[in-house]
Amino acid sequence: MRKKLLFAFVIVLYACGTNEAEADSAINMGTGQEMTEMAQKTSPLPVNSNATDATKALYQKLRSVYGHKAVSGVVANVDWNIREAENVHKWTGKWPVINVFDFINIHASKDVNPKGWLDYSDMTHVDQWHQLGGIVGCMWHWQVKANNGTNLTCSPGVKPGETSFDASQVYVEGTEENKQAIHDLDQVAGYLKTMQRKGIPVIWRPLHEAAGNTYDYEGGGAWFWWGAKGPDVYKQLWRWMYNRLVNYHKLNNLIWVWTSQIGDDVWYPGDDVVDIVGRDNYAALMYPLMKEFNQLSEQYPTKMVTLAECGNGDEVHMSLWSKIWRQGSRWSWFMTWYDYAYNNGQSEDHQFAGEAWWKDAFESGVVLDRETWKSMMK
Amino acid sequence: MEINDEIRETMKRYLLLLLICTTALAVSADERTILLGPKTIGPGWKDNILLEARHFMAAQPGDVVTVYNDNAKRTAQGAFQDPKDWQGVAPEYGCFNVSGPFRMKLSEDMLTKLRERGCYIAGHDYRILRVTLTPGSEFVEKIVWRGPAKQMRSDWSVSAELPARCFKDLKVGDGLVLHASKVQEGAAAKLMDFTWNLLEPATDGIPVGPDGCTYYINDDAPLLKLQFAGNGDNVAMRVGGKDYRLDKVGIISFVGQRNEDLTDAQRAPKEYKLEPGELFHGEKVFPNDWSGNLRITAEPFQECTENDVVILHYELLHKTEGVTPQMSFRENKGKWYDITGAKEPVWYQLDGNDIVLTFDEVSLDKVKTSGLVVTGLGFTLSRIELISAQ
Repeated sequence: MRKKLLFAFVIVLYACGTNEAEADSAINMGTGQEMTEMAQKTSPLPVNSNATDATKALYQKLRSVYGHKAVSGVVANVDWNIREAENVHKWTGKWPVINVFDFINIHASKDVNPKGWLDYSDMTHVDQWHQLGGIVGCMWHWQVKANNGTNLTCSPGVKPGETSFDASQVYVEGTEENKQAIHDLDQVAGYLKTMQRKGIPVIWRPLHEAAGNTYDYEGGGAWFWWGAKGPDVYKQLWRWMYNRLVNYHKLNNLIWVWTSQIGDDVWYPGDDVVDIVGRDNYAALMYPLMKEFNQLSEQYPTKMVTLAECGNGDEVHMSLWSKIWRQGSRWSWFMTWYDYAYNNGQSEDHQFAGEAWWKDAFESGVVLDRETWKSMMK
Repeated sequence: MEINDEIRETMKRYLLLLLICTTALAVSADERTILLGPKTIGPGWKDNILLEARHFMAAQPGDVVTVYNDNAKRTAQGAFQDPKDWQGVAPEYGCFNVSGPFRMKLSEDMLTKLRERGCYIAGHDYRILRVTLTPGSEFVEKIVWRGPAKQMRSDWSVSAELPARCFKDLKVGDGLVLHASKVQEGAAAKLMDFTWNLLEPATDGIPVGPDGCTYYINDDAPLLKLQFAGNGDNVAMRVGGKDYRLDKVGIISFVGQRNEDLTDAQRAPKEYKLEPGELFHGEKVFPNDWSGNLRITAEPFQECTENDVVILHYELLHKTEGVTPQMSFRENKGKWYDITGAKEPVWYQLDGNDIVLTFDEVSLDKVKTSGLVVTGLGFTLSRIELISAQ
């Protein structure tokens, strides 16, 4: 009888201890929490064995919260600013963790074009974002000359405003495409190298959405030139870029994110050159998102899975983040898209994710803001 | 007596003259309403309304169809589609931006199609209030710019400068007519103020037809932008674009009036504001030619369970020999396979009673993933309810 009482006492103590631990971990927002089973399956380090310590630390921190919390993120208003992050701060009083910059307008950067209207070599926003504890992300709507010889575009095709730029020639030394691609990529590498010099790790998501809507319906296809020649060419292109940035330019501050279009496994560049798998979704409803998350997690168990772009669609409103989470999605981070018209005072409502959506996200208790993230990185 | 007779005769003559004048005015008809809304053209190109062929039997080349609308989102687009193939009645009417009333000028070719099949007004994100038909003779055009002609290159690099004096008589409601030649496929015009900014978002890439295009001044904003330039020879507007030659520019003004007689006007189906639990409320005809369908997105199904049911209320159309009214339910993607997962559709024969759609694991997964399409023939759908078991 005494033994039984003692056993019961131990059980009660254990239960109390567990509750305390759970409460404590909730306060710690992921720090001190055990890694989720899903996170444990993912690679412990970035694929680049020479990754800088800061890059490894960022990767590992993302991994440590994976499944427990979602990291908040926004994209810049078109290219090189924190305009969307300012919106979120205005609405909620909190800053998102990730600000993603887009190299879409490198041709108009003042350091390479005297008539340019922006300056990618001016790192003020990037520096400040990093110093304030935020994560810097970069993506690239890689524009090349359109068939009319004047415009710049990412859209493949034969019409004057589209481009016949041949991705299969990019990695063939000496071709026009190769020269142009090296010219552009080296310019981008310069900016990324400046970030490396400053100790800034970068979530790097190039060549995104390559499969386009190939698998959505009959007759679908790639909508960016880098996917227009099919999966084999695309994979070689990815590896060519990886090689040039990592091995040639010695860029060791990049976490490589590949973007899936669902059902496009044949486009996956490979476990050795991808750190994280992303998904862009503008019909971001909680149920299909949960299915997509599960599908990608099963397909790429050693990679974290992220909602790399999201927002309201043409016909549907994105589900609230609290509901997306409740449905079972455990995306590593999310990044809402920008609304140019809203940011220029031409619209009262944000097209992709407005005040109510962001308030719900931060009130859900599962979304990290920049302050919290900063305290966790210390 | 003689004097009275004379007066009576004179009065008769005047009355006759008055009657003739009144009749002539009525026959000229001015701007006549042919469809009365409201009809919501919602998101995603899923809504449309057929303008019946009868409206065009007496129409002439040069006549103008005007669609008055409201609630247009800034990304709203419109179209006049041929029911035969869902293409634009003319290429320039296949897709255009909507910001205020939009119009279609009829040509002989277009009239041939319209008299045979009518046309759909389609697009997304606006609401039709009224559609009118106006004789071309009710518009008066004054040419305000005669070149030298400008060839708009494919790279959008060329523009013509129009001085302020061209626009001194321009007023809200008038239209700017760009007369064009050498028009290539995909030709588009861009109208900018003297600072190179767009007159308004809708003037970025106006589709250019074989003879040009017309842009209507719907409110004060673009007019003020033109007036900011001052007067005389100051550049007030820049006309750019691609793949056409700009020969001259005119201003057309409507000189008629609206005929308020609605006797022959087509009425849009009744619209209702959706109540909680309603997926559809209105009058959606599923004609016997199988052309009817209704798409519902996955959004309202997100929190559904297998215990929930969908109830569809409808009325049968008048019986037609050889037609069996029926309904089926498809997934809202790809080839619209049946929501049961079968490749061949499952048909519900209609006897006038409501249809109750229940879910199993497969069908629930499909509606939550992509939504639902209702197809069929021989009925008018009036309401769809989603009843939650909770």
